[in-house]
Amino acid sequence: MSAGVSRWRRIALKVVGHASWVLPGARSGWADAMQHELDYIEDDRAALRWAIGCVTASYSARLAALPRLRWRVSSAPVLAGSMLLFIAMALQGHASDEASLPAFDETTCDLPDMTPDIRPRLRCGTVRVPRDHARADSGSFALAVVVIRSAQQPSLPDPVVYVSGGPGNPLTVYAAYQARNPYAPRRDLILVDQRGTGRSEPGLCPDLNSTLLEATLAVAAEDTADVMVKRRAAFIACRNQAIRRGIDLTDFGTSVTAEDFEWVRQALGIERWNVYGESYGTTVAMTLLALHPGAVRSAVLDSVYPPDPMPLWSTVVRDARDALFANCARDEACSTSFPDLAATYRETLDRLDRHPLIVDVQPQLRQPDDQVRMTAPLFEVLVSRLLYFPTAYPTLPRVIQSVHDGDARGLGGLIASELAAATTANRATNAAVECRDRPHLRNPLPAGAEALDRMQLYGVCEIWSDLGPAPRVPADTSVPTLMLAGQFDPVAGPSSSRHVAALIGRNARLVEFPLAGHNVRHFSPCGARIAADFIDHPELVPDVSCADRNPPIRFVSKAQMP
Amino acid sequence: MPRKPNNSRQTRALLATFLDRSQIWRHGYDLSKETGLKSGTLYPVLMRLSEQGLLESRWQDPERPGLPPRHAYRLTSSGLALAREQARTEAVSVVSDPSGALA
Repeated sequence: MSAGVSRWRRIALKVVGHASWVLPGARSGWADAMQHELDYIEDDRAALRWAIGCVTASYSARLAALPRLRWRVSSAPVLAGSMLLFIAMALQGHASDEASLPAFDETTCDLPDMTPDIRPRLRCGTVRVPRDHARADSGSFALAVVVIRSAQQPSLPDPVVYVSGGPGNPLTVYAAYQARNPYAPRRDLILVDQRGTGRSEPGLCPDLNSTLLEATLAVAAEDTADVMVKRRAAFIACRNQAIRRGIDLTDFGTSVTAEDFEWVRQALGIERWNVYGESYGTTVAMTLLALHPGAVRSAVLDSVYPPDPMPLWSTVVRDARDALFANCARDEACSTSFPDLAATYRETLDRLDRHPLIVDVQPQLRQPDDQVRMTAPLFEVLVSRLLYFPTAYPTLPRVIQSVHDGDARGLGGLIASELAAATTANRATNAAVECRDRPHLRNPLPAGAEALDRMQLYGVCEIWSDLGPAPRVPADTSVPTLMLAGQFDPVAGPSSSRHVAALIGRNARLVEFPLAGHNVRHFSPCGARIAADFIDHPELVPDVSCADRNPPIRFVSKAQMP
Repeated sequence: MPRKPNNSRQTRALLATFLDRSQIWRHGYDLSKETGLKSGTLYPVLMRLSEQGLLESRWQDPERPGLPPRHAYRLTSSGLALAREQARTEAVSVVSDPSGALA
């Protein structure tokens, strides 16, 4: 099924939008009526014919309101001339929307958390990229770009470009944090909101984002056909809305995003840059490395999101969870308080299966009766989320024990923070990219699938868009590549990182971090230092000895339970 | 000689369509399909009928999530009277026309 309808629809939208200009004041409601009607016309060419007729109607109504003109000239030639002029204007307007050459259009920086020390270091603006890099006449999207000048001047050449995860996560809004935590302190840092994320165009189903999230969470909580159907319907509504707005859903995917980054590099006049990819950002970074190796001086892949074919997500999470439970078993304090954490966890799931816990949550979460029903699958999802963050490890055994004992206190806060994190990402962009990238999401839900697997986009991608070009792995790249992997990472565990390192070949250097989770550098000063040293000297073998000197996890004991 | 208002073929076609199930609210694109009138012809007639108080309009909630509100129309009592009068006139003219009667 093709999601592509965009060009005629885009022109139709421009054309009918012209009616608003022709029909101002009291009659502007009619222009709105014409414009809204367009969304109820499925066929794109019929929509364009409708739009052209609407402008004819608006000119006709405008001329009818000018009695002197009506008497002096025949309305037909005026109408015809106006129509031709306006269609030319519409097409010209369409053409001027193209991204003909890479260019950075600087604007003022309207970003949160700015302080006097950071503000002067920032340049903000947009770069217009072609919607379809293979077609110059496909229109464009404006991407938000922030350049953070190094605090240490003069800075070294070859800046760092940070590629954030998701897909669907915003980035430039966190420019202040990024400025305070540079990847390589002596280099400038480039931040880009990937298309469909943050402040970049297009805004894909922003009003449906919460609906899509709720539908996804419902799938996690309840294993019924009904919730799967509801989720599918929510995504179909989003897809249809996007198409009606002239968005071609084949204009998404990692290969497109990688070309966007290359376009941004050229717009900023950067000869070579150092690419730092994190989580899904590693998929973009690897593809960029494969497609444009000459523009990349070095690459860091932090918490590699593995390419297809991927193992079932629930098995990756289980491995990470088991590794953490094993660590608890070896730790004297943890094993004393929680003698068999793995068994306690299994019992907890059994108990929740029989009697879900009712968790009180804040009214801001807008849950019925301000309560969430903690089912076994939902608890599994929550635990998998906690595995991302080393800061959560000390309390994880205690959380499991509390829920095992029927105590839901404390879960409300965890749910709130997880929901807050989940709502920052654009769910539609996530689907738009994943459905282009991942063949396995077109398969039926695999046998043995668990709640975590049901949350993936199975049953959605087949109705969303065609499969796109696969993301690339830069096999045998000549670009020095550092890979960071956390032992308890529930997405990108060490085994998949080893597999990807083998595919990349001799220039990949994998560093495994015991007791670390997802996004190694973010939580590990050692990881941050290794990455910074590597970026400054990619030709040298980095000193990675600190990776094995992580302090042990200071598990919270049973005695410290409330 | 000045033309009789609301007596064009397009306006009569539109009024006849409204007269059929006169209490139903109709939408622009559906009216276009039913009458065969293009939007460039349809909307000037709708605007004129509305400004003459023969047509009422309102915004309806979206039919599905993600769609915009939709402008809907139906005849006012005056519009209904005019449409009925036109229908009656046309019926008389058809009956009085032998070729029409046989068609």
